Amino acid sequence: LTINMNRFNPVLPVDEYLVETNVLFYLNDALTQLLEHKEEYTQFGVIRYFAEYFSSVKNSNHVLFREYNYIKATPHNRASFIKVFWRCFRQIGRSGDVLSMQEYSSVLQLLCPDFPVELVQSAARIVLMDDAVDYLMSFADFLYAFQLLFYYHEFLASVLTIYQDLLFGKSPNTVIVPTSIAVEQLPLLATEENTSQELQEGVEASTLAECINGLCDRFKQSYPSRTCMLDVLEQSPKVTYYGFLMGLAKHDAINTEIGALPNRSDVLVDPEMDQELLKLISQISASPGSNSSGSVPGGLRESQKKASPRRSLHHRRRMEVESDGSTEETDSSES
Amino acid sequence: MAEKRRSGGTAVLPEVKPTQSESDRLLLSQLGVGELLRGAILKMVEARSDDPIGFLADHFCNLASVSESAGTPGVSDGDQVNGVPSACAQEQQHLNRALWHLRLAHHSQRSAFSNNLLLAYDLLSHPTSGCPGAGGGVRGGLYTQTLQCLCSEGGVPASTSAPLLRRLHCQAHEAVPYDLFRQGVLTCAVFSDYIRQAQRLYAQVGCPAEGPASRALCLAVLGTLQEALETSQGPGANRYLEASAKISSHKVAQVMARGGRAPGPGGNMDAKEFENAAAELFIARVRVVS
Repeated sequence: LTINMNRFNPVLPVDEYLVETNVLFYLNDALTQLLEHKEEYTQFGVIRYFAEYFSSVKNSNHVLFREYNYIKATPHNRASFIKVFWRCFRQIGRSGDVLSMQEYSSVLQLLCPDFPVELVQSAARIVLMDDAVDYLMSFADFLYAFQLLFYYHEFLASVLTIYQDLLFGKSPNTVIVPTSIAVEQLPLLATEENTSQELQEGVEASTLAECINGLCDRFKQSYPSRTCMLDVLEQSPKVTYYGFLMGLAKHDAINTEIGALPNRSDVLVDPEMDQELLKLISQISASPGSNSSGSVPGGLRESQKKASPRRSLHHRRRMEVESDGSTEETDSSES
Repeated sequence: MAEKRRSGGTAVLPEVKPTQSESDRLLLSQLGVGELLRGAILKMVEARSDDPIGFLADHFCNLASVSESAGTPGVSDGDQVNGVPSACAQEQQHLNRALWHLRLAHHSQRSAFSNNLLLAYDLLSHPTSGCPGAGGGVRGGLYTQTLQCLCSEGGVPASTSAPLLRRLHCQAHEAVPYDLFRQGVLTCAVFSDYIRQAQRLYAQVGCPAEGPASRALCLAVLGTLQEALETSQGPGANRYLEASAKISSHKVAQVMARGGRAPGPGGNMDAKEFENAAAELFIARVRVVS
């Protein structure tokens, strides 16, 4: 019967506590923001300002419209950005739309103006298994691949270096310095003449597993749990880089560990939006101008078609009605 | 407000230009930011919260609501009593702040908890007069109210904590000295932990999904609990070891195995009855200071 497990843990020294929790980073940013926008933020008092700042960090809204360097600065910021992206755009998934890499990139830049397109490209490569990147992707596929790549960016870049070394027969034991430069090497892999059988099959999964294990030992930033990575690598004797990442992106335990998104099956559930839509629909059904011609069979009819993210609200509403199985308010004319 | 934040630059921690840095520093010191942040960091480090961001959010929200209701924007960690709204509202506000201090650190973090306890006592000692040292301690009514709030915040149902509060009760006009205040608060904090553990223990004995647990098993476990609580009055550390040996999972399992077989009272015991019985064991050991 232990009353509070905490008291059995050795107390962290102050400086370690501050570093480990990234508190100083947030305090620093709060002060910088305060000075940059002093006219706006000081009129309600600085205490209220700090209260708002830390409340927004707590509920993950702090990453909205911030620069890329900020949103990737801490694990909490990364998880928050993934969460915000999901919350803002899950309607894309609900309406069954599929978007291209370019479109996902634009959507991400609505939240973070300088979000690098390279990272979106790599996420697309995970979904499309390194094939042509201009194919269309469903929201859920893209979301989980994006989450993996964005959250464990540095680690996965190091894994890529190891993978390429293995592929080209170099010794992978070179010191790996995790930098963001590595991400720019990603397109290299695709553009090179990699038509040989060797490149399509990838490398020995067991060798890659060994190297990754060694990497984890010396890696300072966060990485996916070793058991999950082994899980994925044990599934086949040979593995490609993007095949491995695809396996990780689909791994529920990794998603739980990051803690930003629900399980894949719940990713489109949004009760608040449902209520709003029901309200809208009942308003429309009540208005005399609504026409109710024939219903359109199959809510997923649109999914094969290349879609625009700026499809009108009216159209989305219609899709909602169809998926509810209701035929009362369906409009066959394209808006 | 925070959502509207837009940053022009891409650097996270831009170097402030030397010409600007002086005026910035001046501004920050005029606003009292240094003092404000120092206070916040000290509190946070003292409590070693698992969720420091949440801690700071609560800390600043609390300070903001205090300073806004006091009508004095700026740094305020002391009592700023300008434009007194009403004695009653002010008393409530002091109570809220005192409870907030008490919530900051778990009672097992002794030095932090003691500091907060002292702050809370000071706040409650002169709630209406506004001049320090006017009263001879916390008034009994306020003391009882503080204990009530602590128990209910600790997740203890009012019906369970009522017998304890009756025992710790003070007359409304009495002045409560610091030692008694400290004992009372500590008792309620430990009691809240204890009741939560008892609730967990019940969940272990039965399967909450399958309905109430068997009475015989519950009585066996309660008996073990009582034995552990009634450990002889040896020197401190020995008593703790003895008590924890008596309530070790091995011991409890043994007793439950025996209790399950032995012919005893039939029927079941529901969670509330178990909680009350466990609470009774605790309350019987609370000495009343006369």
